[in-house]
Amino acid sequence: MAQQRSASLMTGPGVDPVTLEIIRGGLRAVQSEMEVLIERTAMSPFIREKKDYASGLYAADGRMIAGKALPFASDLVTPIFEEYPPRSMKRGDIYWYNDCYLSKGGVTHTPDQVLIQPVFADDGLIGFSQTWAHFADIGGMRPGSLSADCTEIFQEGTMVPPVRLARDGVVNEDLLKIFVRNCRFPALVRGDFRAMLAAVALGEKRLEELANRFGGATLRAAFDELLGRTEAAVRSRLQALVPPGTYTFAESVDTDGQGSGPVTIRYKLEATEDGRFLLDQTASDDQTRGPINLVLNPKAPGVLVGVYLLGGSTEVSLNAGAESLFDEVKLREGSVLSPRFPAALGHRGVTMLRNLSGYLGLINTASGGKAAASHSPYVIWLIRGTSTSGERFLMSDGVACGYGARPFADGHDAVYLVAQENYPAEFVDISYPMRVRTYAINPDTGGPGRWRGGCGVIRELEVLAREALLSVRLDAIDHPPWGTAGGQAARAGRCIVNPGTPDERVLKPLSDGNVLKRGDIIRLETGGGGGWGHPFDREAERVLADVRGGFVSRESAERDYGVILSAEGRSIDQAATDKRRADRPAAKLFHRHGYVESLA
Amino acid sequence: MSEAIIGVDTGGTFTDVTLYDPASGRLIVGKTPSTPHDPSEGFGNGLGTLLTQAGLKGDAVGRVLHGTTVATNLILERKGPKAALLVSSGFRYVLEIGRHDIPRRANLFTWQKPPRPVPPEHVWEVTGRVAPDGSEVEPIDEAAIRRTAREIAAEGILTVGIVMLHSYANAAHEKRVAEILREEHPAVLLSLSSEVLPVLREYERSVVTLLNAYVMPTVSTYVEKLEQRAGQQGISAPLLLMKSSGGVASTRAIRRTPVETALSGPAAGIVGAAFVAEAAGFGDLITIDIGGTSADIALIRAGQPGITTNGRIADWRVTLPMVDLTTIGAGGGSLARISETGGLVVGPQSAGAVPGPVCYGRGGTQPTVTDAHLVLGHLPFGLLDGSFTLDIAAARRAIDDKIARPLGLSVDEAARGILEIVDNTMLGAIRVVSVERGHDPRDFVLVPFGGAGPLHGGALSRLIGCPVQLVPPAPGVLSALGLLASSLRAEFSRSCVQRKGRFDLDQIDAAFADLERDARAWLAAEGVADTARRISRHASLRYEDQGSELTLRWADTLDATLAAFHAEHERLYSFRLEDVPVEMVTLRVDAVGLLPALSLREIPKMGPADTAIVARQMISLAGGIIEAPVYDRTRLGAGATIKGPAIVKQLDATTLLLPDQTAEMHPSGSLIVREE
Repeated sequence: MAQQRSASLMTGPGVDPVTLEIIRGGLRAVQSEMEVLIERTAMSPFIREKKDYASGLYAADGRMIAGKALPFASDLVTPIFEEYPPRSMKRGDIYWYNDCYLSKGGVTHTPDQVLIQPVFADDGLIGFSQTWAHFADIGGMRPGSLSADCTEIFQEGTMVPPVRLARDGVVNEDLLKIFVRNCRFPALVRGDFRAMLAAVALGEKRLEELANRFGGATLRAAFDELLGRTEAAVRSRLQALVPPGTYTFAESVDTDGQGSGPVTIRYKLEATEDGRFLLDQTASDDQTRGPINLVLNPKAPGVLVGVYLLGGSTEVSLNAGAESLFDEVKLREGSVLSPRFPAALGHRGVTMLRNLSGYLGLINTASGGKAAASHSPYVIWLIRGTSTSGERFLMSDGVACGYGARPFADGHDAVYLVAQENYPAEFVDISYPMRVRTYAINPDTGGPGRWRGGCGVIRELEVLAREALLSVRLDAIDHPPWGTAGGQAARAGRCIVNPGTPDERVLKPLSDGNVLKRGDIIRLETGGGGGWGHPFDREAERVLADVRGGFVSRESAERDYGVILSAEGRSIDQAATDKRRADRPAAKLFHRHGYVESLA
Repeated sequence: MSEAIIGVDTGGTFTDVTLYDPASGRLIVGKTPSTPHDPSEGFGNGLGTLLTQAGLKGDAVGRVLHGTTVATNLILERKGPKAALLVSSGFRYVLEIGRHDIPRRANLFTWQKPPRPVPPEHVWEVTGRVAPDGSEVEPIDEAAIRRTAREIAAEGILTVGIVMLHSYANAAHEKRVAEILREEHPAVLLSLSSEVLPVLREYERSVVTLLNAYVMPTVSTYVEKLEQRAGQQGISAPLLLMKSSGGVASTRAIRRTPVETALSGPAAGIVGAAFVAEAAGFGDLITIDIGGTSADIALIRAGQPGITTNGRIADWRVTLPMVDLTTIGAGGGSLARISETGGLVVGPQSAGAVPGPVCYGRGGTQPTVTDAHLVLGHLPFGLLDGSFTLDIAAARRAIDDKIARPLGLSVDEAARGILEIVDNTMLGAIRVVSVERGHDPRDFVLVPFGGAGPLHGGALSRLIGCPVQLVPPAPGVLSALGLLASSLRAEFSRSCVQRKGRFDLDQIDAAFADLERDARAWLAAEGVADTARRISRHASLRYEDQGSELTLRWADTLDATLAAFHAEHERLYSFRLEDVPVEMVTLRVDAVGLLPALSLREIPKMGPADTAIVARQMISLAGGIIEAPVYDRTRLGAGATIKGPAIVKQLDATTLLLPDQTAEMHPSGSLIVREE
């Protein structure tokens, strides 16, 4: 039943504001429902506990209409068009890929599997239902398919170019058999596929219901309108923040895990007088031998900056309208952001997070510090081995960091990322031959500032397995997350085996093949986020609360914030604080290893 | 049983009271202003008013049932006392770190972590560790715990939660820590995670245990005051409080787990909806309780509300069993506005009670859902029996200025747009509890209640395709009626992990037996006779390696339970995996103590429906403006049938009947609305 409405209600190209808002709410609901289904039924702990998955809805031309709150890429559907043009598609088709190169960065490492199902209205293709999820293991050099030791993508698991996984609703089990045969934990993979197939089919059904309710023409018009509104909103917000001019910034990844580094990403933004934005990242360093290369889709920068610009708006949906925020995005083939096949990509997460930090740096450079400070890239460690009863296990544990302070609030303490959860200690203890001994805030890692950067965490495990192999990925150690607007840099993290004992050893931050034995204690300390604003401007009461809560040490309170506490540490020594704060250090726009006017 | 029973439901603005006198079959319904400074005052006033109205003395009362928002408000407004948490060593930051996530819908750059009910300096670590199988890894350090207890006492903290890792498998450490605390700090109130919710996942268990500790002192004092207020009215009958799970419990039980009252009011409403629908012969229901700022939606199957362990209170996951309801920020006070991109959006911001809708004339300037109804003629021109009138001109002006002109619409179109958007928001929430849980809403009867519910019921039933709608006798005070109809209820859960398709039936039986022993002890303590006891077993199951479970009734045999699990999985998620081993995680035993049933007097037949028409007014609908009759609901007798469009007014709510909808007065007092 198509909705009837008087002609006078129509504004724009065939969809009125009331219907538009109803469709917007409906799309959001469908996308949520798909995600709930995956979360409830998937089997890899990576998906079900850590929640590394997402769903999206797309228009018939492949533009994302609804997706997760922080999509690192939005252009997930058009990669299938080359092989399977939309006119060849039929109801009941499902497409599948994980190929980072052929998808031009639709996905950026091979464990992420993408499923796409076309949706048809009475008058033809109306759009796509899509879902992706990070599978625990898809083969490759080491369990978990991600390793600092990989130097080409062939070592990172089975590559799947865009293929048709189902026709007329019948799944090609032969394709799945080949894939599953190459996985170390086949039962998990089969279970995860069932969950994803159910979710993508659910999305198809729901989007079709929307099409039946409003009519294909109205739905298409609504898609266009929603995309147009988002495009206009992000552009006007960026224009308000960035005056005409040319701005540069540089951000670095410490190491590629194969002996090279730092690897620097360089940005040049030109804001023209007529309101256009030209982004040039061609001066970034060459691709690396180690697996930190990122296939950056040219549409991704607009979406990432769009997430920042839209903030928590419940009124404007993030969608592909943000892709055209930059009128031009220049990348250089052979660089770390546009590597040539078959460069290894597994640990591109550090580059992704550092690149996001770079966009914030660029906006701060252009706006004089009106955006957030930098964050530590989230940390991951994989522990694989054999339990005392001889069972093989793989634990991929994502560990939180601190995020950058904002002009209006502290940075997040102990956050991994939007919608990604930790493994509870009790879950680790019951599921793996490991025991979580400590899970705490890592004090003083947040950069001092008027608003404090978030603190990282300390996670300490005891190895109960006979033997195990540890892979770890930490970054932003040599280049700690910068502070801005007078705020200071964060403190970095590290990974230690048997801390405080004669066999203590500090591991390389991006490394694999670290051998562990039963009884070893492994301790991961993660870094924080940068501060925002001069630390001497932070209310002494907040500093006191931070000291009492264990986020900031007494020494840091005194040294960095100029706040002196009473002897027992429970109140502020106001006179001493006033005296100390009278001698206020000069600040500059950025802070990393000291204050600097620019990071470029 | 001939003693009267009383229900008192405290809301934000009004305290709703009901009295049922079995001797006469009479039901008295009333309202008295709530007294937020001391809610027990409104409770006492309500009791007094009712007894006077009924001409009864306090000793004629057999029991008093109460729905309260005391615990909810403490949590929402963060107004609890200083509290402490004791945790296993190394886990002082269990609350701060939580699940290290940002909510799925939130923005990375603007989200702010909600402050925890206790700061880290009030979390103390305690040495001692048990393994997941319950074996001791490290003993507790008693001397250190004594020192900690004294520190807590010195801080003036009087309520403490204790959460030790894996205490669901072995609670000995928690119990010993509690003993020592009591010895060193006799005034302290304690909440043990092994008693509040002995299930896996330390953050969730910590939150529930801490919230329990957080509300305990205030709720204990409150309960004491309630008993005094009842005593002042000469009532010595038992006082029972509504819990989030839709059952009541004695003040003794509530003092121990006060956090169980967090959804007291909404749970009572759902019980009330089930009760009135059963009286009219309906058991499969979708209920929607629409108030000023929010709407609560729930699904009831065969008279039984769904129970979930995935609930939330404010920012907190509360994994205790509670009625499965979805709350959204959409109600009569929801604000309509134009977004920066020129869209029309409604809610979740609300005008609240102050300033309220524009038409209340209390300073509101932004139009609300209620203003839209008024402008379209859906409301009789005055509320609460004409006690105050509504400023329709102001409402019209606000919609015109703020919505209609900027969008190039007429005032009526803008007002209808506001309602259409809010109805669709509610539709989304209704789909969450129905379609998304594998139910076809067309098989259910829609029960709209709350002050604004019956205004939206007609449009909602059409949107979701419910063929029948049931408007309860007193939609605005249904929670208070639900209290009268409730039973005693408690749930006893425990983790009992069975992995890889291997089930140790002896272990399962022993665990069920333990839980049932607890259940029987509880029923005995609540004074429930053997014949009134109902005990049921439930198990939560999943496929190996899945992360969330489905809770099913234990079907006597393992095979039958597994068969039911496969079927439920397929119904909910569209597939089953018969070749994958099934695992069990948590066992639960529900104890129900039936209270004497309520049998309401049927309403009499009266004259023709036309005689109930008290006015006529113009109403604006999508099809145009038409004149519609306004009926006085109290003058509609059993069997009276009216056709839409029409307005049915009563003291506590207004029902809007759309064209082609017909309402019939059921002898039980509900209006049954059907599409023609």
